[in-house]
Amino acid sequence: MLRYIGQRLAAMAITLFLIISISFFVLHAMPGSIVGDDPMIPQEVRKAIEAKYHLDKPLPVQYGYFLKDFLSFEFGTSLKVQPRVPVFNIIAEKLPITLQLNIFSLILTVPLGITFGIIAALKKNTRIDHTISTLTIFFISVPSFVFAAVMQYYMAFKWDLVPILLSTEPTLTWTKFKSMILPILSLSFSGIAGITRYMRAELCDALNSEYMLLAKTKGLSQVQATVKHAIRNSFIPLANIIVPMFLGILGGSMVVENIFSIPGTGSLMVRSINALDHPLSIAVLFFYSLIGLISILLVDLSYGIIDPRIRIGGRK
Amino acid sequence: MDTTKQLKEEIKIKEKDFKFVQLDEKIYDEKFEGEAIGFFKDAMLRFKKNRAAIVSGWIIAFIVFMAIFGPMMNEYTYREQHLEWAFLPPRVPGLEKLGIFDGTKEIRVRKENIEEKYGDALIKVVEEYNVKHQGRDVAMAVIKVDAYKLNEAEDVYFWLGTDSIGRDQWTRLWRGSRVSLFIGVMAVIINMFIGVVYGSVSGYYGGWIDMVLQRITEVLGGIPSLVLIMLFIMYMGAGIIPFILAMVLTGWIGMSRMIRAQFYKYKGQEYVLASRTMGAKDRSLIFRHILPNAIGPIITQATLAVPGFIFTESMLSYLGLGLGAPEPSIGVLLAEGQKVLLNHPHLTLFPAMVISILMLAFNLFGNGLRDAFDPTLRGQE
Repeated sequence: MLRYIGQRLAAMAITLFLIISISFFVLHAMPGSIVGDDPMIPQEVRKAIEAKYHLDKPLPVQYGYFLKDFLSFEFGTSLKVQPRVPVFNIIAEKLPITLQLNIFSLILTVPLGITFGIIAALKKNTRIDHTISTLTIFFISVPSFVFAAVMQYYMAFKWDLVPILLSTEPTLTWTKFKSMILPILSLSFSGIAGITRYMRAELCDALNSEYMLLAKTKGLSQVQATVKHAIRNSFIPLANIIVPMFLGILGGSMVVENIFSIPGTGSLMVRSINALDHPLSIAVLFFYSLIGLISILLVDLSYGIIDPRIRIGGRK
Repeated sequence: MDTTKQLKEEIKIKEKDFKFVQLDEKIYDEKFEGEAIGFFKDAMLRFKKNRAAIVSGWIIAFIVFMAIFGPMMNEYTYREQHLEWAFLPPRVPGLEKLGIFDGTKEIRVRKENIEEKYGDALIKVVEEYNVKHQGRDVAMAVIKVDAYKLNEAEDVYFWLGTDSIGRDQWTRLWRGSRVSLFIGVMAVIINMFIGVVYGSVSGYYGGWIDMVLQRITEVLGGIPSLVLIMLFIMYMGAGIIPFILAMVLTGWIGMSRMIRAQFYKYKGQEYVLASRTMGAKDRSLIFRHILPNAIGPIITQATLAVPGFIFTESMLSYLGLGLGAPEPSIGVLLAEGQKVLLNHPHLTLFPAMVISILMLAFNLFGNGLRDAFDPTLRGQE
């Protein structure tokens, strides 16, 4: 197990190294210079700036400096979005609201998805099942930003139920939470539908399995057997889609944050891309990659913990 | 070797040594009644029973038709600007008499301005209310106006309205669908091609070739694809070709894994061994004997991948990495509409409808294909 984790961490390090290397070369292949081509800037100032960012040295040397900075967790400072503020601080400042959104969304998504999935599986091939399945495919297909736009227009603007944009209060209060309802909802729909579909398939499988027959032969009632054996067993694979779902919501939240003007990491990414603030863009991309890789690792490790029958990293 | 040579020389079998045994005998086997049903015919029979998939197929066909011919249906082009006619609501001849698509919109104005500014164009006052402004009450009203009359465009019809610089939304919507569909379908075709070749080589040859190829896909697949796509677009600049290439970067991995698994499943089977014994070359084993087994999953996976790419394209447009003006795509239209959503919802409504319907139709169609090709998978992911 330890050896397996070690291998995985090594692979992760290689991947991250690749990502930052690609990022570096993309950054430096960009047309234009960070100094700008304003002819009013005096030669000396230009030289000084170039020297500060090591731009006067050959590319391999620059790459060396870049790696050295990165390995000592010096992610550089923002150039345009918040000039001279360390990139790390900017991300740390934007992170809480994004995390709040995602966690609330997960809190809503997981129980609802599981409940609908169980209902659909137990009522298989009835009208309820068909309704749930139809809605599921609808919510999986329609993109989250379409829900966001539609809800923003009708629920917030036309019917005036909730605020249109996120309130700017710094702490989490009731009014702030109220303004977070729409983003949370639009992030949750596809997740709920995904879990429902998965849960339904798993539970249908479990209900038809032989251990259910055995359980009933032992004298358990259908309800007992379902609750104690079938549902519990179908939770096992479910754990493996919830962690990547977190990452999925994080990615989807970029657009939704943009729509509801939420000052989170998603809109930070958008702003840094639009402002051509490359150190910031790359730091945010790096941050997203890191979360992605960690979540994949967690999933793989959780296989062994949740279901002892699966032995990871064992000899074949 | 020598003995076989000797044997060959000793035993000379001539044609007349053979004789037909059963030529005159009657074979009492029953003949099959009816025609044999092939793989595709079988799948087609099952597919036809799936009503949702059939309807989806027609919807996709309709959207494709409109994406090709829609922009030619009126006299405007996708880049023709009418600055004096910005933000006109939809107006369709015929339908306007029914009260929909009649070129009217509701706006909030100061009551005192109604006569002077809107005069003839005013249709009715919907609601009157007061707001406090700098300490005194201001009489406001929600009024319904004929936006075409207001802008002196009574003889003009923009079927789906116009955007911020007066471009015809109908033409832009269908041209945008064309671009989005093109990006999605081209990306899928290229992914399919790379995935099939890569997966076949990896799965058929196995051994160290497989080892090396799998390590490469592992590293590539380990990088979050959205991050890779964004970096690529930042580097290449937005455009139709860069978008397609960006989706190809990691998009083929799924297909290659599936093909590789198919090869592992079939390459050890007896019919492959028999064919190899009879001297079939690697190429014909791969493409004639093993790959056709995977044709069902390939088609299914390709169909289900199209909406994903259309979604990614829209998302990138939302994030400000979209196609450059004036070329529209559904994502670009949505992103433009989002900026003025509260005042001009028609700019968001139609692209949102098209992308939702398109993704829904592709998903249902793909599910139908999957069930038709492999009924055992019904009801699963």
